[in-house]
Amino acid sequence: MKTLINIKVNGRAWDLAVEPNRTLLDVLRHDLELTGTKRGCDLGECGSCTVILNGKPVNSCLVLAIQANGAEVLTIEGLAGPSGLHPLQRAFVEKGAIQCGFCTPGMILSASSLLQKNPKPGEEEIRTALSGNLCRCTGYQKIVEAIQSVGERGQG
Amino acid sequence: MSEYTVVNSRAPRVDAPDKAAGRALYIDDIRLPGMLYGAILHSSLAHARILNIDTSRAKELAGVKSVVTSQDAGLVKYGVSPARYDETVFCHDKVRYIGDEVAAVAAVDLETAMEALSLIKVDYEELPAVLSIEEALAEGAPLVHEEYRGNIGAQVHQEFGDVEAALAQCDVVRTDTFRSKRQDGGFIEPQGCIAEYDANGNLTLRSSTQSPHYVQRTIAMVLGIPIGKLRVIKPYVGGGFGPKVAANAMEMAACLMSMKTGKPVKMNFTREEVFLYGRARHQFVHTLTTGVNKDGTLVALKNECYLEGGAYSSFGIATIYYAGSLLGGPYRLQNMKYDAYRVYTNKPACGAQRGHGGVIARAAWEQQLDRIAEEIGMDPVELRLKNMMEAGDVSCNDLKMNSLGMRECIEAVRDGSGWKEKKGRLPKGKGIGMACGFFVSGAGFPIYRSDTYHATVTIHVSEDGGTVHVYTASAEIGQGSDTAFAMIAAETIGIPLDSVKISSGDTEFGIDLGAYSSRQTLMTGHAVKEAAVDVRRQILGVLARELKVDISELDIKDGLIVFKHGRVDFSHVRTRYSKEHRGWQGLPKGREPLTFQEAARIAYLARGTIVGRGKYKPAELGGTHKGAAVGTSPAYGCSAQVVEVNVDMETGKITVEKMTDAHDCGFAINRTSVEGQMQGSLSMGLGEALQEEVKFDQKGRILNPNLAEYKIATSLDMPNVEPIIVESHEPYGPFGAKEVGEGAIMPTIPAILNAVYDATGIRFQELPLTPERVFMALRAKQQAKGKNPADES
Amino acid sequence: MLLPKFNYHEPRSVDETTRLLGEIGREASVLAGGTDLLVNMKLGKTAPKHVVSLSRIEELRRVRRGQGSLTLGACVTAGGLNEHEEIKAEFNGLCQSAGSLGSPLIRNLATVGGNIVTARPAADLPPSLIAYGASILLKKEKSERTLPLDEFFKGPGQTLREPDEILCAVILNAPPPYSGGGYVKLGVRKALEISLVNVAAFLALDGPNGPIKEARIVLGAVAPIPIRSPSAEAVLMGDKPDDELFEKAGNAASKDAKPIDDFRGSAEYRREMVKVLTKRALKQAYEEAKLREWRRWK
Repeated sequence: MKTLINIKVNGRAWDLAVEPNRTLLDVLRHDLELTGTKRGCDLGECGSCTVILNGKPVNSCLVLAIQANGAEVLTIEGLAGPSGLHPLQRAFVEKGAIQCGFCTPGMILSASSLLQKNPKPGEEEIRTALSGNLCRCTGYQKIVEAIQSVGERGQG
Repeated sequence: MSEYTVVNSRAPRVDAPDKAAGRALYIDDIRLPGMLYGAILHSSLAHARILNIDTSRAKELAGVKSVVTSQDAGLVKYGVSPARYDETVFCHDKVRYIGDEVAAVAAVDLETAMEALSLIKVDYEELPAVLSIEEALAEGAPLVHEEYRGNIGAQVHQEFGDVEAALAQCDVVRTDTFRSKRQDGGFIEPQGCIAEYDANGNLTLRSSTQSPHYVQRTIAMVLGIPIGKLRVIKPYVGGGFGPKVAANAMEMAACLMSMKTGKPVKMNFTREEVFLYGRARHQFVHTLTTGVNKDGTLVALKNECYLEGGAYSSFGIATIYYAGSLLGGPYRLQNMKYDAYRVYTNKPACGAQRGHGGVIARAAWEQQLDRIAEEIGMDPVELRLKNMMEAGDVSCNDLKMNSLGMRECIEAVRDGSGWKEKKGRLPKGKGIGMACGFFVSGAGFPIYRSDTYHATVTIHVSEDGGTVHVYTASAEIGQGSDTAFAMIAAETIGIPLDSVKISSGDTEFGIDLGAYSSRQTLMTGHAVKEAAVDVRRQILGVLARELKVDISELDIKDGLIVFKHGRVDFSHVRTRYSKEHRGWQGLPKGREPLTFQEAARIAYLARGTIVGRGKYKPAELGGTHKGAAVGTSPAYGCSAQVVEVNVDMETGKITVEKMTDAHDCGFAINRTSVEGQMQGSLSMGLGEALQEEVKFDQKGRILNPNLAEYKIATSLDMPNVEPIIVESHEPYGPFGAKEVGEGAIMPTIPAILNAVYDATGIRFQELPLTPERVFMALRAKQQAKGKNPADES
Repeated sequence: MLLPKFNYHEPRSVDETTRLLGEIGREASVLAGGTDLLVNMKLGKTAPKHVVSLSRIEELRRVRRGQGSLTLGACVTAGGLNEHEEIKAEFNGLCQSAGSLGSPLIRNLATVGGNIVTARPAADLPPSLIAYGASILLKKEKSERTLPLDEFFKGPGQTLREPDEILCAVILNAPPPYSGGGYVKLGVRKALEISLVNVAAFLALDGPNGPIKEARIVLGAVAPIPIRSPSAEAVLMGDKPDDELFEKAGNAASKDAKPIDDFRGSAEYRREMVKVLTKRALKQAYEEAKLREWRRWK
């Protein structure tokens, strides 16, 4: 039976009627048509479904939508500001950190969460923060370099 | 300072901003009105006769709109190469592996579709299964395909020169057997598709594919749809690496059910289904016998290979050739014998994966060459340099190296890694190793017999506005091909990159064989260049007539018309343009340089819409021996790597600490993209060397069909790579460019193996080098030493 | 992948939870982080009629200091443990094990309570918690009980928790001065791994250079449940800590291990690795113990 929940997504509040067995990932992609968050494995093993939930990056495929009632969610679509792409997004573009792009939203969100905690992280810390986001295309290096460049510029 | 304005730069990719913003649409992001959701019923047994399929209860379930089996799909056989069409959409008489497709349903939502699957009743008669090369080849083994005796789906026998005679003359002859494991593509986006059949009988299939062209052809053939009424469109793809090249049963089922219901049908693979479908890297067992002279001259190679192919041929019919032909270079070798057997088993079919059949063959041989180097007391780098082919050489199996920057690659990694200081001098547990490799820049022939062009491209010039739109059926799957082609078009025409739009991956845009065999930069790049030259010629031709100068006096650079000698009065062209644009702000005026925008407008007014056309087909390549087609290519990319490892001598766990990679891509159209392909290839190679293996139980079920237990490299496993681009200027490549996408992985596994030997004194002849495998070998070595304390290690 | 249908309950307090479980406990699964339950539901391994979520119960997410003890609410996440100042300062081994669980994303969901009650033989947190002598608080509607954690496990997926009980808290006693903990996990990759073997160690010394007056060695993934190693502990007790002793302890520990062959690795390899990991965990514990005079519990 559907339950009415209220979630704030990318700064905007939504009232949604959801079945308990739907995940936050399902609801974001289907009900809110925010398809920037991806489904790579559905079991919390690849990180392509990463969203920021109440300030922490999580696998949205392992969160029931109903658990997110009253929560604040940030997806990749919410990262860009009124003046355009977020510095991380721009750095990913400039540094060649994007190939197929499927892991990119999750990577950027994990990185943004890291930079909130530590604006100038070292390489080891960056790699640890990304260790739940799998990438098969880039070998991770240009992703790390993009994040380092944002840290160095103090834009996180 | 580059002589080029656009190519050879680090231009950001044209698709990157959309991907960074989460706006790029992949197949599962697309929804069409009235769309149904489909699901596949897979076989739960590795080998069984189908006695009966009862779909009646599934059909009755509310919300189910279509249930299909082989009765509906028909029995037209398909595969990848016409030489081996051994699959049907659905199984009809028997199932050949756990995962084999038996039926499909389409329903109003996925939940209903899944419930319908559970209502389909299949009566099986279980048959004994063969789950390994040994089991399949055993006397009296059950046959996976009745027509293929002994379960040998394909065999190859080639000889160049006289290997036995040559080996008899050699000072040193070594034989080693090397065994790899079945592996997976590991792309992060699972396959998916949406089929849409309209009221005019036109079928559009959107699919996460590497080759809309091959998918279109295969589906048209199998379902009997006129090919002109079938359109295949590729949205953004989240990685391909090989398994997404061929048409799959899901695509066909979706098309079939859309035709039956008149509604769009979406289907996806779960991650588990990605593994069940497979079509990824075969298991290879190579027995290599190599003979050299004591001065290090390579004389002869005998290569016997068994491939564990799974239940169908798929791309394996090409793999079996590559596993031999790709050892024909990059060393001078007069005598090579190759015998190979691709064995059917009751497991998911194997196909092409980055580097195709060349990767494991290269791993086996580059390690053996190191062993030989040690035996004759020669530095492994010197052994490579001594035997290296040079530009212009032709291999014993007719592979012509028109450009080959192999020497530069080897010297670059040798010098860039500190090889001379480190080799043999690192503390116990640390090691350094090197290896080489090379790969085709596109297969010399399409996978089906045909005189077709490999790529056709059109470039439409906007009637006003000075932009151009490149139309290509090629597949941007993450490698950066859209950007490369936009750059080639921009450079060739002489306009800035942001004046170029590109649309790709749609069979309506022309012919393109797709993203496989590392072909697109060279082949489609040529077609783009030709179309761009055509655009220039048409526009400058009109301008020359208008300005009464010879066309050779004109050039286009940076979006401006350049007059090579003296001033030319173009004021009447400018005036005409301004008159048409009264009210517009910021128009070019007076004696400011004439713009491409104005010239293109004039050309349109003279000729109508300007369309440049380009096409590419390689020249007749290769020898006349059987299988000569596979391995031939217009050009070969090559590379060398040096890797440093740290082996935890107590647990056996290997950490790759540093990688230096030099790749000759002929000419880098986009330097950042080339580096990205190098780094990505190396991360796949590292994973395959140390961590990746698809595991089965005794019933033929995959034990690890998920990304937790099938272990691709994480950000903590992959070190930094020092990428060095070598440019040998390939004469047959557009701007001198040739491949990087697959060749870069070639040296990775053997460089790691050779480094591990340097660290531990152990030669590993089996992959992957998991901590347990390494530990057991270290312990065995320790125990052997214990028995014989005089042994040096 | 789809989740099966279920009735969803979101009690607002521990009392409400235990009342609810008193009624439907036998047909209910308790949802904390979801990293185990939701995965198993998607894989079709379990389809409970009721799911009781603990998300709304604030008190279960708290870490509370008491008199000489630290109480972890059952819904404190692994990430929370790994970043908590007091855990980092006082319970190094626990901090290490929390930081090695899954991935940073999983750690933001997975809870200490969940990692205990799911009772996976290779779980990361129980060995460390047992090494620190943790006990757990279980509550049902009308009663509660406290148990030492190392008595709680019965087999893979099986614990002493009754269907109408919830695990509320994990209680850690202040470690004495000159004590320390270590945790070592072995996997194939450096993240996203289920342990092939893990070992947690705890040492309490009589002064900065020993001898050892308390030793707990807990082995994970080499038995149906996390197990103490009495043989290793016997080797350690009363002796001065040094590499040679730790090596002896490691060899002894491998005798207590009862690993099996599975698709991740062989019993033989696991048994050998118990030796190595025990030695390394002890070294970690000793490094911390040497320094604990200035970090004495206040």
